[in-house]
Amino acid sequence: MTKPPELVQQVEAQYPPEALAQGVTASVRLIITIAADGSVADVLPTEPVGNGFDEAAIAAVRQFRFSPAEVDGVPAPVQVEYVYHFTLNAPPQEAPAPGQVQEAPKATLTGQLISRGSRSRVAGATVRCGDDPEAPEATSDADGRFTLEVPPGECAVRVVAQGFQLYQTKEQLKENETTEVNFFLAPSAGALETVVRSERPKKEVVRRTITRQEAQRTPGTFGDPIRVIQALPGVARAPFISGELLVRGSNPGQTATLMDGVRIPNLFHLLGGPSVVNAEFIDQLDFYPGGYGSQYGRAVGGIVEVGTRKGAADTLHGSVKVDLLDAGFFLEAPVTDGISVAAAARRSYIDTLLPAVLPKTEGSTLTVVPRYWDYQLRVDFGAKRGAKSDAEAGGARSSGYVMAFGSDDQLRVVSTGPKTERDLTVDTRTLFHRVKGDWTYRKGALTSVFTPYVGYDALSFNFGVARQDGTAYTVGAREVVALEQSSALTVRTGVDLVYEHQSYDVEFPAPENFEYVAFPGAESVGELVSEKLSLGAFDGALFVEADVKVGKFTFTPGVRGNLQLVGSTQNLALDPRLWVRFAATERTSLKGSLGLYSQPAETFRFISLPYGNPDLIYQRAFQSSLGVDHRFTDVLNVDVTGFFNRRFNNVAQPGQIVAREGGGVVQLPYSNEGIGRALGIEVMVKKNRASATDRWSGWISYTFSRSLDGRTGTQPEGNGGFGGGFGGDGDETYGLSPFDQTHILTLVSSYVLGNGWELGGRFRYTTGRPTTPLNHSFDLYQADRNRFNGTYGPYASARTAGFHQLDMRLDKSWQFQSWTLGVYLDVQNLYNAKNVEFVFNDYRQRREYEVPGIPILPVVGVKGSF
Amino acid sequence: MKALINYGGLLLLAMGTLACVDPEDQPSRVYDFRVLGVSTEQPELMASTCERTPEALDELAAAVTYRALLVDPSGEGRPIQYTLWACADPEDRTCSNEADRALLAEGTTSAGELTLSINPGAARVGEDRLLLERVQEEDPYKGLGGIRMPLVLRAVAGDEEVYAQKLMVFWCPVVEGMKANEQPVLPGLRVDDVPWLDAELPELRGVGPFVVTAEDVSALEETYVVPGLRLQAVTLKEAWEISWHATLGDFSPQETGGADFGGQQGRHRTEWEPAAGATAQEVTFWAVVRDGRGGSSWVVRRARWSP
Repeated sequence: MTKPPELVQQVEAQYPPEALAQGVTASVRLIITIAADGSVADVLPTEPVGNGFDEAAIAAVRQFRFSPAEVDGVPAPVQVEYVYHFTLNAPPQEAPAPGQVQEAPKATLTGQLISRGSRSRVAGATVRCGDDPEAPEATSDADGRFTLEVPPGECAVRVVAQGFQLYQTKEQLKENETTEVNFFLAPSAGALETVVRSERPKKEVVRRTITRQEAQRTPGTFGDPIRVIQALPGVARAPFISGELLVRGSNPGQTATLMDGVRIPNLFHLLGGPSVVNAEFIDQLDFYPGGYGSQYGRAVGGIVEVGTRKGAADTLHGSVKVDLLDAGFFLEAPVTDGISVAAAARRSYIDTLLPAVLPKTEGSTLTVVPRYWDYQLRVDFGAKRGAKSDAEAGGARSSGYVMAFGSDDQLRVVSTGPKTERDLTVDTRTLFHRVKGDWTYRKGALTSVFTPYVGYDALSFNFGVARQDGTAYTVGAREVVALEQSSALTVRTGVDLVYEHQSYDVEFPAPENFEYVAFPGAESVGELVSEKLSLGAFDGALFVEADVKVGKFTFTPGVRGNLQLVGSTQNLALDPRLWVRFAATERTSLKGSLGLYSQPAETFRFISLPYGNPDLIYQRAFQSSLGVDHRFTDVLNVDVTGFFNRRFNNVAQPGQIVAREGGGVVQLPYSNEGIGRALGIEVMVKKNRASATDRWSGWISYTFSRSLDGRTGTQPEGNGGFGGGFGGDGDETYGLSPFDQTHILTLVSSYVLGNGWELGGRFRYTTGRPTTPLNHSFDLYQADRNRFNGTYGPYASARTAGFHQLDMRLDKSWQFQSWTLGVYLDVQNLYNAKNVEFVFNDYRQRREYEVPGIPILPVVGVKGSF
Repeated sequence: MKALINYGGLLLLAMGTLACVDPEDQPSRVYDFRVLGVSTEQPELMASTCERTPEALDELAAAVTYRALLVDPSGEGRPIQYTLWACADPEDRTCSNEADRALLAEGTTSAGELTLSINPGAARVGEDRLLLERVQEEDPYKGLGGIRMPLVLRAVAGDEEVYAQKLMVFWCPVVEGMKANEQPVLPGLRVDDVPWLDAELPELRGVGPFVVTAEDVSALEETYVVPGLRLQAVTLKEAWEISWHATLGDFSPQETGGADFGGQQGRHRTEWEPAAGATAQEVTFWAVVRDGRGGSSWVVRRARWSP
């Protein structure tokens, strides 16, 4: 918040007559929702005090008028806590005789209000001496500073601030002297989010937002923001603790994760470890399971938008976090007025701990060295605190930031010695850097956001004599222009361009089925094949959409035109989309969407045959949904949405065997034969904390779904992997998705116990994944491979047992004057449920064995912040 | 490669957890009716020309010796009924399509080595068509991997039934440098670094593990040439695999040798551990070698083990 709201029109409440007659006083603590224009949108008492005080205070406060609060320099709705004091005045004193009037002596109390434990400056707080309503009071500014002029003597200081406990102390103030103080205010039981995010324009049929605090405190996720998304409706559970996002029947890799609009190349460290996004750096996560706007593309599943956090405007803050795998820090500070910086970095040290636990056997040496680090840096400029808003100034306003983020993963495994099965060396490294800018320009009804970015990726892989070194340079830009022509019509348009140049230097033994026809069984060692490949790929999109309000309806038609140029390949796709929202009542909305979505295949898939397929086209999806959301109270929302999706032209691997021009044959490594279909209903019931004293929050997420996956045409030689892999021994190429889960239920709850303790829990139940049962009556032995084939029942006609798991997290924080120490215990699978993750068969394919999931897994972490 | 990395994490997790599951039935533990290996002598037939000449067809129609290693430790010499077919489709694991199969042999035998003389290259199906032609028609690779004719042995011992498929390879010199495969033969075995000869019955005492190795085979692994999918010549080197079996206890690893896609070859070293609680007995061991292109043979050893 760059500018706090200020009370510009106060209305005195009527003292409840009965309370007045009984001489009863009270203080009513209220949560006021202030709209972007400064008017009071809603008022709720946090703890009713009765005797008619609540009603009287609410009636008065509803007539209050504030100056608009600003977030990043833009007027925005906020919530503030306000205490209305009802006090009884003493009988009026006799008026002094003329001539006796003289200027009363004064003393000055000035200082700064600082949040205990974080040293944040507390803005918008009221400071007064005593509880006399007629006494002068001061309001703290954005730096938490206040100046109060009062009669000299003892001042019973009372500081009332949103999200903080009432602060009381006594100061002796001397006549004509200024007393300077620093008051450290204790936050109420946990910080309360200030910005009312749900009030943001909600064009999409479904957008689910996770705040930083929710991301960090959700049990079972180790505070990993991406994994929290898995607790939302529409997302199937990924195996083990994998963070893969399986959204509304889509396959892994079909949901895009963006960091402030720029795609994150690798979501997780070391394949399935912590996500590369430091939880401290995020502001909020927006998750769109489908039906998202035309400015989003390159995905046939959902979209996850990670919004990063701008640096603090008041003073230097930071935190240090240490857990089993890694340690990291986060720092944020103002540089000058209008410029702030935030930075985070993390480094693993598991490589130094592993040698202590790896087995040591005489005659063999095993070395495993996993390393990773990541960083994020953001410098904001242009949003000066306390500056007049553009509405007031009537002029143009620019703000923006520059951000860099990146990650580096290295894994080296060496196994040698005469007692090992073979000498084995694996050495991999995956590195990326992204630098992006963001320039937001506002003038009148026009808003323009320009986002250029550049990137560098490097991938190296060494396995025995096989070697691959790849690099990629990326340059891209996104421009979105929004014009609010009237309250009934807003138009948005823009472009979204990206160019990527990839080059690979590879050397490996001639791989079977790419260079020659494999024979079943022991793979021979091929002659070394060396290739130097490079490829440039452009993907551009032009989009336009409009919000048209007609009565209670809002129609948002849009279209996104996509063009892909890779080598000599040119692909076009047009994605028309439509959303309709009907505001049935102030609290109830009906919503629906339908549209087409496109996702280009990754650039490396276009390299020449036999390792790529230059003829790939856009992967497509049709998405539709229909739902209703109802706001029971300001903090309790229910959303029910039904969806139907159909995916087509998806990349499946491998493709069919075809004749090559110039002779020979080739099995296409990829083809656009992938198809899929999903339908279901999602229910989300979410309870937010109403105020700092409200201790409970959480959500219930339920999804009923049925998802099918497969390919058109016949089974390819060698069956297929994701996007076309089928169990059993039949000819099916389409059926239940391997990730299909009929029922997905997640309960997440967090309770503030007080005194720095907070307890959270997450319970999950999902239907087991489909399996194809064995139907053994004889052995099928392949003598050349020395392997057995199975005989199976109908494809996907069985399921593993349902998955259920309870995760708990206990947080304890100690607030010191200028810093806070936090410790957490996150326990996955608290009651050690023996869940089935996979089913595999014994070597003769006679009996099925269940592969269990993770057992009870406690993790302890420590975090210090200031 | 990127896809490999994307899904590799999941795979590693699955493999890691798989290591914690220990099925009772193990390939190296032989206790019931099994077919441990199949070989043909010659392992492949190569015509002197790729033209369809009578001479070439005669070369491909030559007689071969078919061998199957049938073991039945608890069968007490019971009869084993067998039927051997050749058919057209390698995906038809049981040669169930009668229109595309030819009966090569049938009869009754007992546990041990089943040896048959067959002429699969001369087999005919349907309307008196050469089975080789039907195999070639079914081949999506248009013969660039040779003509691979499935030989399926159905063996029934009591209520146990096994279909064992072996691909018989027929070649012609598509690219320069091709020559017929030679049968892989193990030069010898060692137990605890002592030569383990066929006629000997070494005494093995204690709980082990006993280290079993194959004599160095690297000089026997052939370098050979096959036609590539781009019609170029591709040079390969065999990396033999040996599967290890015993009538008591387990081998670890149960299969040795071979190569991964980085060209890293395994060493032929394994450890045999007798079953816990077993009593002194004579144990039969088998080592079946495969050269990865259709060649296979085996050696049998015995030892007297006591706790």
